Amino acid sequence: MSAWAARAARSVVLPLTLLVVWEAWGVASGNRRTPTPSRVIGAAIDLVTSGDMIEAIATSLARVFAGFASAALIAIPLGLAMGAFRSIERNVDPLVESFRPIAAIAILPLAILWLGTGTPAAVLIVAYAAFFPIVIHTIAGAKLVNPTLLRAAATMGLGRWKTVRTVIVPSALPSIGVGLRIGMGVAWTAIIAAELAVGAKAGGGGSGGIGQMMFVFYAYSIELNRIVACMIAVGIVALALDRALRLALRYAMPWNAQ
Amino acid sequence: MNAPVKLRLENVAKRFGNAGAAQTTAVQDFTLDVPAGEFLVIVGPSGCGKTTVLNLLAGLELPTSGTVVLDGRVIRGPGPERGVMFQDYALFPWHTVRGNVEFGLRHGPAGAGLDAAARARRVHSTIDLVGLAGAEDKYPHQLSGGMRQRVALARLVANEPDVLLMDEPLAALDAQTRIILQEELLRIWGQDRPAAERRTVVFITHAIDEAVFLADRIAVMTTHPGRLKAVIDVPLSRPRNDATRAHHEFQALGQHIWSLIRDEAYRATVT
Amino acid sequence: MRYPRRGIAVVAATAIARRFPNVTAYVRTMALFVAFWWALARWTANPALLPSPFAVVEAIIELVADGEIFMHAGISLGRMLLSLGLASLLAIPLGLAMGLRRTLDELVDPVVELLRPISGIAWIPLALFMFGIGNVLPVFIMTYAAFFPILLGTIAGVRSVDRRLIDVARTMGVARRTIVARVVVPAALPALLVAVRLGVASSWTAVVAAELIGAPSGVGYAVEWYRELLMTPQVMAFIATIGVLGYLTDRTLRALAQRFTPWATQLEGVR
Repeated sequence: MSAWAARAARSVVLPLTLLVVWEAWGVASGNRRTPTPSRVIGAAIDLVTSGDMIEAIATSLARVFAGFASAALIAIPLGLAMGAFRSIERNVDPLVESFRPIAAIAILPLAILWLGTGTPAAVLIVAYAAFFPIVIHTIAGAKLVNPTLLRAAATMGLGRWKTVRTVIVPSALPSIGVGLRIGMGVAWTAIIAAELAVGAKAGGGGSGGIGQMMFVFYAYSIELNRIVACMIAVGIVALALDRALRLALRYAMPWNAQ
Repeated sequence: MNAPVKLRLENVAKRFGNAGAAQTTAVQDFTLDVPAGEFLVIVGPSGCGKTTVLNLLAGLELPTSGTVVLDGRVIRGPGPERGVMFQDYALFPWHTVRGNVEFGLRHGPAGAGLDAAARARRVHSTIDLVGLAGAEDKYPHQLSGGMRQRVALARLVANEPDVLLMDEPLAALDAQTRIILQEELLRIWGQDRPAAERRTVVFITHAIDEAVFLADRIAVMTTHPGRLKAVIDVPLSRPRNDATRAHHEFQALGQHIWSLIRDEAYRATVT
Repeated sequence: MRYPRRGIAVVAATAIARRFPNVTAYVRTMALFVAFWWALARWTANPALLPSPFAVVEAIIELVADGEIFMHAGISLGRMLLSLGLASLLAIPLGLAMGLRRTLDELVDPVVELLRPISGIAWIPLALFMFGIGNVLPVFIMTYAAFFPILLGTIAGVRSVDRRLIDVARTMGVARRTIVARVVVPAALPALLVAVRLGVASSWTAVVAAELIGAPSGVGYAVEWYRELLMTPQVMAFIATIGVLGYLTDRTLRALAQRFTPWATQLEGVR
């Protein structure tokens, strides 16, 4: 067996074994509700064909994009300003550092209090969550600019703002990219958490999204297989978002080795 | 020299990569004897395979063909009788100077049969030898480049190896520190002592003046593929010092070696 | 009697302010923030929607006095420490093994990569079904959340160990198992501690969600409890507590890292 084939075999052995064991355990338990791979696939097909899954994912994604974009639009300029000008950083940093340890989900009750249990609150939570990784990495990127490049720009007579635009921004882009990727991951997790929490508190009604759908399957219809199907969907979307963002970043920064 | 042969490389070749177009030959047709107690320096342009030869002597790599022999026995792997000093020191950052120097004695076969007290004594005398008395409890990140190099040397010498292999150990230092440490190296090696008490050294550098200053013999390598071009005796008397550098023989040797390498060095800057 | 004391206070404050410009900026910014908040609260005039900063401070004092904050904080912290311990116990040995043996990594990594995108929070509904509301659920979710950053960070840490350090130990004849224990682990320790810090952050985020939905106690539960009662000052008090605890745990870990791995350069770039 060639080395390549052996490696491919090794990479599927464990997942396949676990799936088989899981299936056997589920069937042996006798309970029809116990989730097994085959039942989960069935549930997934149901959800997709009925359109429920697509709708839920679409709702959640829309909120994520809205929140993510809002966060980025504020965090990137702010981060660049803070990274480039020490005075700005010194004055704004206390606020950033004070709120950073407070997870987005902790703000959720306040958001619900102010905006109700619908999409506005969800978008606020997502934006809050994504804001911090983006701003932190943007600041780091702006600060990590090679000082020699800055000196070169100064000797060429570039003014302060021109230097920011032509030297600092391109140098900081890789770090900003990292911040965006982490921010996207955090945003997706935040929306799930927010929708779960809303579903838990607002009852069966509310504004949909995959997080809430999962909770409904737990609390109202006890559809474990559907829950697992949703969990897998959550994972797939997370991967897809990360891949998509990575591709977009590669287009934006062809010189970057990452 | 009537000294027995300590190290022998015989028709050694080292190729990397799988057979076919992707394979690179780092070293080819390399044959060299190193007598016991000799200070041999290998010199050559960048990428000529000097480090590969050292790795082969250290046992960190095995030859693709040919044999590498120590005291008549084929080398099959690394071992404390062939101590190695690397260019970037590779000190253990979590150990103090003392901890670093002691490492090989504590965890390797070189310390077998030494109890804690004997170990401590040897560590202490080695640290004294390299001139670092008083810095035993410092950590590497608190030391200057020159001091770190001394620690690396002490760590090596504490194991009392038969052979010292050094891969451009002074390359990372500034020119002035280099000169000082070159003399220190010779002192520690024992250039003031009779030849029979000296250990065998194989030293790699690309600085020709360094090679001439340190060596008993110089092996000049060429690149693409790495091959032994010439072996040159350095008849300058020991002990060597600043006066040696002013000697006309010193200059002449340096020029001769440079003339052997010059063309390749030029080509390396344009390809 | 009061005047000299006040004078000294003013002089001391000015001296400190001059020496620590950052502290001045901090105080100034937070004061501005509080002032803005107060004005906004006055303007909306709805204490349930936006209480004044003073109401929040009062609530904090009250909750501290009757010990409620410490009770919930203690419970949440306890859960986090337990989860961290469990996650480390599982992830660190596995990460070491996977980092050292390529074949094990190829075997286990697919499962890791399949599970990792499914965040700990997505497990809450299923976990609610398996464990119900109680203590087990938050610990399960938090352990799961901490596991992946610690595992991946450990693997990366092991892989990033400088090859040279291992080579040095090999040339000293040190046995492979000793190399793992005495070189790889200490060398990977800084990266490992960073991984644990990330695990803590991940775990702390999960605790709030887990307690909000599925626990009868803890800071996340308290936040939600007071929200349902529309006692917003208390809600904010506990949100602030969450922030303070998160900050303190991170600082403590960083101090521990500084104490145990003082040589690790703080080149993390991002705090």
